[in-house]
Amino acid sequence: MKLTIQNLTYSINDTVIVSDVGLNIKKGEFVGLIGPNGCGKSTLLKNIYRVLSPDAGSIYLDETDIRTMKSKELARKMSVMIQENNVEFDMNVLDMVLLGRYAHKKMLGNMTPEDYEIARKALEEVGMAEYEERSFLSLSGGEKQRILIARVLAQQTDFIILDEPTNHLDIQYQFQIMDILKSQDATVFSSVHDLNIAGYYCDRIIVMKKGRIIHCGAPEEVLTSQIIDELYHIRSEIRENKYTGRKQVYYIPNSANISTCAVTENL
Amino acid sequence: MAAAGFAAMIAAMLLGSVGIQPDWVVKILANHLSRHNIFSPEWEANKEAIIWTLRAPRVVMAYVTGAGLSLCGILMQALTKNSLADPYVLGISSGASSGAVAVICYGWFRFAGAYHIMFGATLGAILAIVIAMKVSSVSNKVTATQLVLAGIAVQAMFSAITNAILYSSTTTSDKLRSAMHWMVGSLASASWNTTVYVLIISLVCTVIIRLFHTELDVLMLGDDTASTLGINLRQVKIGVIVLCTALTGSIVSIGGVIGFVGLLVPHITRSIVGSAHKRLIPASVLTGGFFVVICDMLARILAAPEELPIGVITSFFGAPFFLFLIRKSRNSFGGKNG
Repeated sequence: MKLTIQNLTYSINDTVIVSDVGLNIKKGEFVGLIGPNGCGKSTLLKNIYRVLSPDAGSIYLDETDIRTMKSKELARKMSVMIQENNVEFDMNVLDMVLLGRYAHKKMLGNMTPEDYEIARKALEEVGMAEYEERSFLSLSGGEKQRILIARVLAQQTDFIILDEPTNHLDIQYQFQIMDILKSQDATVFSSVHDLNIAGYYCDRIIVMKKGRIIHCGAPEEVLTSQIIDELYHIRSEIRENKYTGRKQVYYIPNSANISTCAVTENL
Repeated sequence: MAAAGFAAMIAAMLLGSVGIQPDWVVKILANHLSRHNIFSPEWEANKEAIIWTLRAPRVVMAYVTGAGLSLCGILMQALTKNSLADPYVLGISSGASSGAVAVICYGWFRFAGAYHIMFGATLGAILAIVIAMKVSSVSNKVTATQLVLAGIAVQAMFSAITNAILYSSTTTSDKLRSAMHWMVGSLASASWNTTVYVLIISLVCTVIIRLFHTELDVLMLGDDTASTLGINLRQVKIGVIVLCTALTGSIVSIGGVIGFVGLLVPHITRSIVGSAHKRLIPASVLTGGFFVVICDMLARILAAPEELPIGVITSFFGAPFFLFLIRKSRNSFGGKNG
C-alpha cells in the first residue's frame, strides 16, 4: 500500500505547523521521519491518520483520498501506534490487543475465535504470550509498548504509522521493537527520535524542519554532519558501524572544546 | 449478585410499619405477575394493597434507579475517560430535575401526554450535559480538575433554577417537601404506572449499551486511539449522550436527584471484573440495583417512622468515596495530565 501526500498545510490559530508538504511512500518501504522537537512531525502524522484534518492539500492511500473513507475502512488499511500514557481504566492484555480487531468486526458482532487466534499470535510475535491475563496498567513502559505493537499487528493493515515508537524505552526494547516492525510485511512510516536507529532500520529518511520537508533520501545521503548541524546545532562525525555496515553518528558536544579535525584523527 | 438483588428486594418489601409474613410477599407477587390466584389469599386485602401497590413498585423502581444510574456512570466515564464522571457529579441529574420541575410547574410539553415530565427531564439533562462537556474539555481532553469544577457549577446553576421555579410557583406548605424531593431524591412516589415506563426505557437502554460494549472499550482508550482503531467518534459520542440523557431523565423524573450511584458502583465493579464493558455492564447493573434497594431500605428504617430522603443515604456512602477518588487522582490535578 502506498501513501501520497500533496501540498499538505496545517495551521493552528494562524501559526503554520505543517507547510506545503508533499511526499510519496512506496509499497513495502520503511520510512523514517526525523527533525528537531516542534518541527511538526507529530502534526504531519496526525493529519495522515486523520485525527487532524488539513487546511489544504490531500492525502491518498493507494488511489483513495482518505477523507472519503469510512472510519472502519481506514482502520482496516492503516494502523497507528501513538503514546498512550493517559489510559486511566485498566483492562487485561488480551482484551487490549483484541481491540485491534474492532475494524474487522461486523456491527454488533462479537469477537470470533479467529479474532482471538490473531490476537494471541500477535502477542506471541512480540514475546508477550504469557502476559495475556495480566492487567495492562501493571506493565512496565517497554511491556506496554510491546502490547500496543501487538494491537497494531492484530489490526492486520498494509500500512503502519508510528509516532516515536521507542521513546523512553531502554535500549534493549528500542531494538526489539524496531526488529519486530522491520520484520512485518507492511509499509511503515515512523517518526524516529534516535538518528542511529533511523539509520539502521530505515530504507529512506525524511527530514523536517519548521514544518517543511528539507531533505529526503537514503540514510547515507541524509545522515551527514552538515544536515545534523543544520537540524540540531551540534557537531558530529559520521562513520561506518563495522558490525552493521550502516552509518553511525558520533556526536561532539560543544563543551568538548576540540576542533572537528582533531576528533577525526583520533577516531 | 442477581440472587442477592432479588433477596434484597423481597426483604425490602417485608420491612415497614405494617408487618407482613415473608411467604405472603412471594405469594402476592406470584398471583399478580401471573394474573391468576395461584395461591388462595390468606391475608387481608389491605396488606395485599400495601405490597402490590406501594412497596413492590417502589422496590422495583429502586432497582431500576440503581441499575440505570450505574449505567449512566459507565457511559460518562467512557465518554470523558475519567473515573470521576457520573451524572450527579457532572450536574446532569440536576439539569434533569430542573427540566422536570419546569414542566410540572409551567405545564409545558402537554403533547407528550403522561410522559411530559420525563420529556422535560431529558431535555434538562441534555442541556446540562452539553454545558458540562463544553466547559470541562480543554482542546478535546477532559481533565479531572475541569470536570469537577464544571460539575459543581452546572449543579449549582440547575439547583438554583429548580428552587427558583419551585418557590415561585408552589404554595407555601408544598415548597419544602417538593424542593427536598427534587434535590435529594425520594422513591416514595413510585407507582406501577411510572415504574413500568422507566423500567422499559432502562431495559431498552441496557440492551443497546450491552450490544455496543466493544465501542465503549475502544472509546475508553482516548479519542485519538479510538479513531485509529476505526471508531466513528461523532456517532458513538452522540449515541452515548442520547442514551445517558434518556436514562438520567427518566430516572430523575420519578426519583429526583440521587447522588453518587454512578460513581460508586462502577468503581467497585471495575475493581472486581475489570474495565472491559462486556463484563462491567452486567456486573454494574446488578450491583447498582442491589445497592439502591438497600439504600432505599435504610432510608425507610433508619429514622422510622419518618423517612430519610434516599439521596442522603447514597451521598453518605458516595461523598467520602468521591473525596477518596479525588485524593487518589491528585497526580492528574495540576500534574502532567492536568
